[in-house]
Amino acid sequence: MSAILEIKNVSKFFGGLAANSDVSFDVELNTIMGLIGPNGAGKTTLFNCITGYYPPSKGQVLFKGVVMNGLQPDQVCRLGMARTWQKVRPLAKMTVLDNVMVGALLRTHSLRVAREVAHEQLRIVGLAAKDSMLAGGLPIGERKKLEVARVLATKPELLLLDEVMGGLNAAESEEIIQLILSLKKLGLTQVVIEHDMKAIMRLSDRIVVLNSGEKLAEGAPREVADNPDVITAYLGEAVHA
Amino acid sequence: MRASLLAALRRPARGFSMPAFLAYLAVIAIVAAVPLFTKKPSLLHLWIMVFLAIGQGAAWNVIGGYTGQYSVGHAAYFGMGAYTTMMLLELHQIAPWYGIGLAVVNAVLLSLVIGSITFRLRGPYFVLASIAMAEIIRLVTLHFKDFTRGAEGILLNGIPPLELTEGLTIRFVGKQPFFYVALGLAVLAVSTNWFVQHTKLGYYFQAIREDQDAAHSLGINLTFHKSVALAISAGFTAAVGSVFALYVRFIDPNIVFSLPDVSVQMVLICIIGGIGTILGPVIGAVVMVLLGETLRNPKWLVQVGVAGSDSTLVAFIEQRLSNAHVLVYGVLVVIVILFAPDGILGLLRTWWGKLRRRGAPAAGDAVKPA
Repeated sequence: MSAILEIKNVSKFFGGLAANSDVSFDVELNTIMGLIGPNGAGKTTLFNCITGYYPPSKGQVLFKGVVMNGLQPDQVCRLGMARTWQKVRPLAKMTVLDNVMVGALLRTHSLRVAREVAHEQLRIVGLAAKDSMLAGGLPIGERKKLEVARVLATKPELLLLDEVMGGLNAAESEEIIQLILSLKKLGLTQVVIEHDMKAIMRLSDRIVVLNSGEKLAEGAPREVADNPDVITAYLGEAVHA
Repeated sequence: MRASLLAALRRPARGFSMPAFLAYLAVIAIVAAVPLFTKKPSLLHLWIMVFLAIGQGAAWNVIGGYTGQYSVGHAAYFGMGAYTTMMLLELHQIAPWYGIGLAVVNAVLLSLVIGSITFRLRGPYFVLASIAMAEIIRLVTLHFKDFTRGAEGILLNGIPPLELTEGLTIRFVGKQPFFYVALGLAVLAVSTNWFVQHTKLGYYFQAIREDQDAAHSLGINLTFHKSVALAISAGFTAAVGSVFALYVRFIDPNIVFSLPDVSVQMVLICIIGGIGTILGPVIGAVVMVLLGETLRNPKWLVQVGVAGSDSTLVAFIEQRLSNAHVLVYGVLVVIVILFAPDGILGLLRTWWGKLRRRGAPAAGDAVKPA
């Protein structure tokens, strides 16, 4: 096994505030890494550092052995690392199909080829029937799926999913879980930020726990769940009588 | 063919449609035949102004409509075009057909400089910066009198005849040559909008308009694509500015770098017609030119025979409104934003949609079993 993504001592400061401090972990090829932590733990900031939205203040991000520091988000995406947004960002006045075509056009200049790729991705996420609707008119569950289809169309090797199940009901979440697992079978490495503990335990091969910007724990789902530090971070100190 | 035209009106077209293309060619052919039927200078003047306005609107549409970067400083490129052509012709005796080419090159270079400064900003800050850039260029043109003749302006003495081949020479006298040059420019600009809408470039422009961060994360180089959109837009604007200058034969900085009469006018053409559509700038240009010409010189209504020579309306406009055309534009914008936020074309599409929906259940009722 080899690491596709290496995060080495990454820190991000906003003024005096450390949103991430000295975070390190590796993501192995063809695995799912879960990224959890309480609100404000620095999960999304870490995604932004990895994908070029913020330059890390310290440390290095290596993707397929290449240093990503200083690259713009579009260059990162071109190299094969793509992300979704916690707050969905549909291209509202374009159709569902056009949204996914924008993603597909990264790898081709032909609208015809892009249209075929887009149809294929919409089938995978189960939105094929809605391809001619305006993206702004989709309900939240389908917007999340569109977000995934659009990013898949850029043909990533590593996918960073930022709370794709947030705001979804149980049935919709289950569909997304099945989708993530089927993408893993297709050989796609994924880093998943999620608040739903049950979902993250089922999905992840390994889990990293962030708390107040620092890495609190890392390991297999069971190890992490039994870690007393993690329990403390989520539930507070145990009261000793 | 009628059905597909209506379909084109109903929703933004995707892909090439033969009937729509033939209809487009037919419209061009019909319009091109207009000078065969009328020699009235006042009418031909109106057509020329409409063509130039279509060129302006379609040019602005590339950056404002498709890419969503609301530049209110396009007078910079319009004036750059006008001044390049006029200065080369009047001060250096270089024929305008070379002048226009250089004008376009100059405007594209200027757009790269202005873009590199203003594209760092988003939303209202971008708008303000674009206005500031155009004002700076107007003031610079006014100030450097030795180079540009400043507020004195440049008066055109004559355009040399263009000898295409032996025996075929075009003389730029009267309205007719300008009618065809302006028509050609309008057709080129509108066609460019079609290509923008139907290529990868256009998809990327529209993605940037909808959400810059999302576009960035999907592999779109924001600065590069915004610069390309602005360069296309600036180039066409400069070409229109050049032809305008040659046609009206006199320019000064306050005319061609005007904030209300050029920069704002270009935005209004698109907003009123329908922003980010191919037909929108055409509709907006017709409305704005008719309105503008009526307010500035209502006598044309008498000249073309729409109103009698003793019309009270003409007298009223002439006495009360002709100095307040900017005010009338303002009122018009408020009306459009309130009642037709997607422009006149958007309004037509909504009406057409309602008409169809009203028709559909009625047809269903007829076959409902008793």
